[in-house]
Amino acid sequence: MTGTVEPIPLLRGDRGAPRPPYAPAPLPGGADAPAAPRHGRPRVLLAPVTVTPGKPLTPSHLKGLFWVDVMYRATAQLADVTYRYSPTTYHPTDQTLGFWEYLDHTLGDTDYSQLSEEEIGELYVGYRADGRQTPVSALRPYLDAIEHHGWVHPSSARVLELWSAQYARLGMHDPGLTEHQPPGMTLDEVLDRLVPLGLCLDMREYGGPVYLDATRYGLPLRQIATAQGRPNYLACALRELVPLVPGYDEVVLLYDRELEPDYQLLQRVLAELGPVVRRVPVGRVPIDGQIRSARHGDWRGHSAGALLEALGADHGGPALRLGMRLYFIATLGPGDRQSFRPDLLRQCVVRAERMLGSYETPADAAAAEAGLTGFLERQRGDHAYVDPYRLTSGLLAKHRPAPVHELLPAVFL
Amino acid sequence: MKLSQDLLRAEAARRIRVARPDLAEEVDLSTATALSEVHARIQEFADTDGLLAVSVVRRFELAEWARATCEFAIGLAPERLAAWRGSFSRTIFLAGNPDNLGDRVRFDHIAEDGSAAWTGPAPAGASAGLRRLLKLFDGSRGLPPRPDTPVRIPKAIGPRHRPPVRRELYVATAGITVADCLVHLNHLLVEAVLDGLIAPGDTLVIRQMPRLAGLSGPYAALRVGAEREHPERLRAYACLSEETVGAAR
Repeated sequence: MTGTVEPIPLLRGDRGAPRPPYAPAPLPGGADAPAAPRHGRPRVLLAPVTVTPGKPLTPSHLKGLFWVDVMYRATAQLADVTYRYSPTTYHPTDQTLGFWEYLDHTLGDTDYSQLSEEEIGELYVGYRADGRQTPVSALRPYLDAIEHHGWVHPSSARVLELWSAQYARLGMHDPGLTEHQPPGMTLDEVLDRLVPLGLCLDMREYGGPVYLDATRYGLPLRQIATAQGRPNYLACALRELVPLVPGYDEVVLLYDRELEPDYQLLQRVLAELGPVVRRVPVGRVPIDGQIRSARHGDWRGHSAGALLEALGADHGGPALRLGMRLYFIATLGPGDRQSFRPDLLRQCVVRAERMLGSYETPADAAAAEAGLTGFLERQRGDHAYVDPYRLTSGLLAKHRPAPVHELLPAVFL
Repeated sequence: MKLSQDLLRAEAARRIRVARPDLAEEVDLSTATALSEVHARIQEFADTDGLLAVSVVRRFELAEWARATCEFAIGLAPERLAAWRGSFSRTIFLAGNPDNLGDRVRFDHIAEDGSAAWTGPAPAGASAGLRRLLKLFDGSRGLPPRPDTPVRIPKAIGPRHRPPVRRELYVATAGITVADCLVHLNHLLVEAVLDGLIAPGDTLVIRQMPRLAGLSGPYAALRVGAEREHPERLRAYACLSEETVGAAR
């Protein structure tokens, strides 16, 4: 890992929730903010969309995660970066809460600790196929446990633990998958902040829903919570980001292209709170020409675990790490046109092996580091973050050699 | 003159005859179900060939909203108001914040406190953009209780052809949601303005009660519609009393 990365500031818990001993004390004024910037380095918040922990990681997920990881580690050379990725924040959505309630309702008390993420994913497929509408009252005990006790259902705790191990094998920074990272605000606190700014419309008093309102920018009203206050993922994102973003110069939102309208909204709303907000859409990876979803078991045969097993047998860790980044970032690019090709992935790993065998450690380490910073500076254009696609593609370019001896360990391994 | 199904049918038929004399000739107006069908036809007409108004609602407080609705109707040119009646004063209520829409929409009226705003009546196409941007107002809760509330229509907002009067505005609440109330009162109030029953300087005293049956008439205006649970029955949703004593205080 880079060694220069700031620790991720952990948020103040919900009222009454214990604060982890390693969390920094809340800053004066109650706002959760990063540490003071180091001599003029920009403060950057990376806030990617999260994957709900009820299934294996797919090629689409891996692509997004590598994209963020490279962006994080490269940008951290130039800026004070926070990589905010909190599964805790999104547990209250129906997708996760409903799954947990379904498991307990259908399987009862079960030991999940020996299950694979594929096996848990099959249960998720069963949940979506079942189509049962879970009454709000049945979700309440789960919500209470999440909000007040940092509780995670054992099925998701198991998936997060398995993901965490895969992150380690893939050389990805673990942003706290198994940690309790509650959002800094309740939904009502978010509304207290956004309603006076005209950015939310709360119709619950009349039996209507809560909307995010960026109609002043010509974007349609978007529901974020039901009349009963049940939030969707956007409401959860706001609970996390509204208190966080004022402490940053630049906020980078990474998301699936299919979420474009929601992220345009989020960008507008968060920008009203101060920082420059950038959107970085990352296209998903079709399997045999089709973009499917976890509800249909889209991971079968292509899960992160399966890929690691297939490639890990023939290649070492560093080649695997670099090769996967070459494939999921440089080969696939930001779009979503190319279907997943295991043969091309393997070629990338082989190529990575060759690259790793041919570069040498330079004699002058200080000059090399200065070279890296200068190189990365040139990768970022008018924004504070480093573009992972540009950076990774540049690694393959013959005519403008990148300072690979520094770049590879800092960003790609 | 007590409310009865006969009286409600007669009132519903009268409204159709006044709004659409052309249509009234050829349709059956003798039963609640037939009346509802004609009603639906007129609404459909409003959405295709007629006129509709759009009301953008940010907050709803009955007294403020009733006043602003009257102000909107009083501010419309009489011939525009009359043409709107041909579409049964069709109005679409959308959840939205008028403050955010100023650059895109020229409202015909904005409530003084910014809680609601109106456009139209106009052909449906004129409000298509606004309707895409906003969502239908979803008000599934009942009306909150309130004491009798006087609502004074400002004097200065339009010409007066008679001295101010005072009327009771009765609103049925049993089984009525906020969204129902918006629809029913809107029709009652704008048509009462058109008929000269409400004018600048008048006072309306809002009185909520579960049902309006038992009220002693006569009524200056009555809002009648099918009962949701019993479409073969009509119900009085709101009414405007004749002038009450001490009217011009």
